[in-house]
Amino acid sequence: MRATLERASPARIARRPTRSQLIKGGVTAVLLLFAFFALPELLSLYYVDTMTQVAVYSIVTLALGLLVGRVGLYSLGQAAVLAIGAWAAARLLFATTQPYPLVLLEAGLITMLAGLLIGLPALRLRGLYLALITLMLAGSITVVLATVNFPNGGHGFLGYNGSLLHIPPIRRPSIAASDPAYFRYSMVVAVLMFALVLAHTKTRPGRAWAAIRQSEPAALAAGINIWFYKLWAFALASFITGVAGGVLAGAIHYLYSINFPTQDSITLLAVTLMGGVFSLWGAVIAALLEQFLPALLNNWGVSADWLIILFGVGVLQVLTTAPAGLADQVPRDLARLGRFLGRRLRRRPGGDAE
Amino acid sequence: MRRNNAARRTILLAAALALAAAGCSSSSSSSGATGSTPAAGSSSSAGAATVDTSSCGSKPGVKATGTPIPLGAIATNQPGTSFTDIPNMAKAYFDCVNANGGINGRPIKLYIATEQTNPAQIAADAKQLVQTDKVVGIVGNTSIIECSVDSSYWQKLGFYIIDSGIAPECYSTPNSAAVNMGPRYSSDGAVQYALAQHVSKVVFDQANVPGTGYIAAGPNALAKAANVPIVDLTENVPITDANSVAIKEVNDAGPNGAVILNFTPPQALVILQAAQKLGLEDRVKLWGCSTPCNTDFLAQSLGPKWNGKLFVNAELAPPDDTNTTSMNLYKAILKQYGSSVQGGIGSFSQMGFTEAEIAVHALQSITGPYTVQSVNAAFKAVKDFDTGQLCQLWTYGDYPLHIPNNSDWTVTPKDGKMTTAQGCTLISKVDPQIAQYRNAAGTAANAPTGS
Amino acid sequence: MPPWVDFEPFIVSGLALGGVYALSGVGLVVLYRATGVLYLAFGAVGALGALIAWSLITRAGVPGWVGWLACVAVAGAVTLAYGLLFGPALARRDPLIKAVATIGLTLILYGVMDLLWTTSGGQARSLTLPTDNGGFTVAQIQVTWTQVIALAAGVVLTVATGAFLRFTKLGTAMRAMANDRDITATLGVPVRRVEAAAWLGCGILGGIAGLLLADLVALDATTLTFLVISSLAAVLIARLRSITVTFVAAIVIGLLHDLLTPIASLTSYRDMTPFVIAAIGLLVLSRHQVMTQSREEA
Repeated sequence: MRATLERASPARIARRPTRSQLIKGGVTAVLLLFAFFALPELLSLYYVDTMTQVAVYSIVTLALGLLVGRVGLYSLGQAAVLAIGAWAAARLLFATTQPYPLVLLEAGLITMLAGLLIGLPALRLRGLYLALITLMLAGSITVVLATVNFPNGGHGFLGYNGSLLHIPPIRRPSIAASDPAYFRYSMVVAVLMFALVLAHTKTRPGRAWAAIRQSEPAALAAGINIWFYKLWAFALASFITGVAGGVLAGAIHYLYSINFPTQDSITLLAVTLMGGVFSLWGAVIAALLEQFLPALLNNWGVSADWLIILFGVGVLQVLTTAPAGLADQVPRDLARLGRFLGRRLRRRPGGDAE
Repeated sequence: MRRNNAARRTILLAAALALAAAGCSSSSSSSGATGSTPAAGSSSSAGAATVDTSSCGSKPGVKATGTPIPLGAIATNQPGTSFTDIPNMAKAYFDCVNANGGINGRPIKLYIATEQTNPAQIAADAKQLVQTDKVVGIVGNTSIIECSVDSSYWQKLGFYIIDSGIAPECYSTPNSAAVNMGPRYSSDGAVQYALAQHVSKVVFDQANVPGTGYIAAGPNALAKAANVPIVDLTENVPITDANSVAIKEVNDAGPNGAVILNFTPPQALVILQAAQKLGLEDRVKLWGCSTPCNTDFLAQSLGPKWNGKLFVNAELAPPDDTNTTSMNLYKAILKQYGSSVQGGIGSFSQMGFTEAEIAVHALQSITGPYTVQSVNAAFKAVKDFDTGQLCQLWTYGDYPLHIPNNSDWTVTPKDGKMTTAQGCTLISKVDPQIAQYRNAAGTAANAPTGS
Repeated sequence: MPPWVDFEPFIVSGLALGGVYALSGVGLVVLYRATGVLYLAFGAVGALGALIAWSLITRAGVPGWVGWLACVAVAGAVTLAYGLLFGPALARRDPLIKAVATIGLTLILYGVMDLLWTTSGGQARSLTLPTDNGGFTVAQIQVTWTQVIALAAGVVLTVATGAFLRFTKLGTAMRAMANDRDITATLGVPVRRVEAAAWLGCGILGGIAGLLLADLVALDATTLTFLVISSLAAVLIARLRSITVTFVAAIVIGLLHDLLTPIASLTSYRDMTPFVIAAIGLLVLSRHQVMTQSREEA
């Protein structure tokens, strides 16, 4: 509750960045540079591929966190939106020779349109109803995709040829054909998407969303056009998820409808809640949980079922005790640990507690 | 409040862990129970008791020491679909070999990577095996899409993999040779049997997983050549409404028609049971199924109404009807080393056994160091090898595509077990891929030697 | 368009499917009315119970009724434990949060089930009830007693629980608690006991439904756990309020789903039926008003 209030209060709009914000920004920049330059050299190709997936899914969890954390819209259909973006990108990549960034942009826009079409009528619903209708829509899209399939180089609008003996891979940009290069490419796209969201949250849409999340009647009374801003959130979330879909298409080369089951949408919500919906780092943590942890466990021969159990426990934990997720909890726990250790160390030489 | 929450958290975690830990112990005991099902158990133990597993290796009783020869396998393992039994059985075979002399005294180490049908993960697994585990050969791959995702990678690196194929590329590329027939040719076998019984119409229904068009092309070619109309259906899995599926199939097939299914055992079981409950099983001339249905589990669960009614394509020799050295060795190794093989006796573990058999045979022929080049050259050079599990002798060869197992048995359930209904029959070369393979392979695609 | 006679058997199977959806759907709405929680783990607890029953019957060789009792008992116990552990903590939260929390439970159960009952080696499990043998013939297909029981159970549930919640003291207490736990407590209602009774009842319902669904649909953790998503369609159309509307909607959805089967151009899309109907229904119902499910409305 406190966290929400802090972020909602307009007095937080700083004109000049504070010292802690500068430090935070600096640390973030260093980490990003490290990830960009050093990670592909240090990690084996297995983990480079995994980190590319982390980059892709961090965009998806960012979108979901935006909807859940900033606007209070629980979407249970994010995997379906990702599938639409991947479909659009794959179709364009097979049908045209457009440069990759253009294809990503187009995929994002197409997905945004789909998001708006869905969002428009659905916005009359709130809370549980909205969440459930997103689940229903995701279920529909999953069934449609199972029938029309993803493009695989065939002809016609759907671009699917079911009888192929050799399925052609979806192409990658010419500057990023190798796996380490593609990881860097996906990182750049992810950073751009994060920057886009940041640009929104720090300016008027972000304030409007915070007001709506705090109290819709109050926001209405303050003259905020709730419909418009909610739609804007939908549009933004759909756009960046669509772009993520495009990056995914190039990463994995082959798209199958079985890779986007309805269960994935549920898992995505679970990890986004666990990572923390109020901070951008939460999206990265969520993506690490969703993609890196399974790869790690897979490598160690531990069954993926343990992860499903962990996500279930995580959801319960987040909802009952730590609403801001790991992104908030871990630094706080570390700080508490630090204070606790500090007190212990100070106690020792003196003898008596203060 | 904080204390309650923390307590709640710990309780929850502890409960989940305790449940799972209890489950781990119970599932291993229950898998032991499932491994020796009542009917098959007696025959398997009788066979095993008389066969010494040490014949798997070249030096009985001598444990192999020395630098391990690393091999790799990728298998699907996700809720609802798990193929880990196949590489696990291969590993059991390798364990036997390692305990009995190894390969020129060196043990084989099999790295098994599992995946959840995620192309990124599958590509990553392949790179992990090659770059981190430094495997020199791939034996035992069984995955819904791995062949599609990795075939160009294997081609680039010069790996000639021995696998249990599913995706089209397992059978249409130079770098993969399978011990099984895969869904297309297995469905061909089932449809072929039905056509031989002079049915007037065929309904071919399959799971909506990648490759349905490729799979259906085979049965469609066969039906067309026989001038029998064929209807292609697909169902989304897992099936939630088996009743409508069964009614549709029966309606489309008609009283003198055949319904041929291509599903995993749980899904096929659901459809067949629904047909039985609806009283539809006698409304068509016969029911057929591709090889996944060839398991005693299914025979037991279906009951006597399906005796002689359901005809299943069998890619590998029926374990209960075959009393050869190889089959007895397979059962013995499964019993002694196959504790991680959940499904017990059945086509999955048979495939693992066969793949390992071929690999060991190839490795034993290598003189000099075991490198990617030497091992894969040896795999490719395997020719006319009698695995004892297949109709034909198995050959890899230097061909643009590989379908070395292209002859099948047909089995039917009888009193809880799958029994042979028809001996080895070649898959018709009306299927264009089969024709292409036979042209390329020449005498290697021989007529069956098994019965 | 196929001739009418082709549709006849699908009417019968459609009613059976409607019965399946009704069982889960009515169960969900009853639970929501009694506890204020949309218990999305309904399918998972049923599946867990059914798998335990299967293990006991086929592995340990216990008689059928012992297995079924175990199924119901386990489902009841798990649900009760969840309700007692997490009910109070989440009682003041939005219904949405409470529903998402049950997703957590669903994931835990699903993971545990797949660990304990693997699908490796091509294992195919099935649970058959004695009512599977015997039935009657309608439109050239057989209807088993189990399907009749499922449909009847749906009707009985609809009528009985509706009456229970409205006319009995315990039922009224449950509804009050689902609405506002604190105020109900100040009225002198033994909140903990009523809560426990509500959750236990829900769990038992889930166990019975699990048994029937394991027989009618499939004994498979994935299928049964996520069947609840299709059943949600009927629940949504009833706006989580009317048990009767849920029942009727479920039957209609089941009928429509199966009636699409013989139509070649639509048959591949028929699995969309519940979702499309729910989406259309909700959008039509919300035409003139903003639909929100706050605590006050439950």
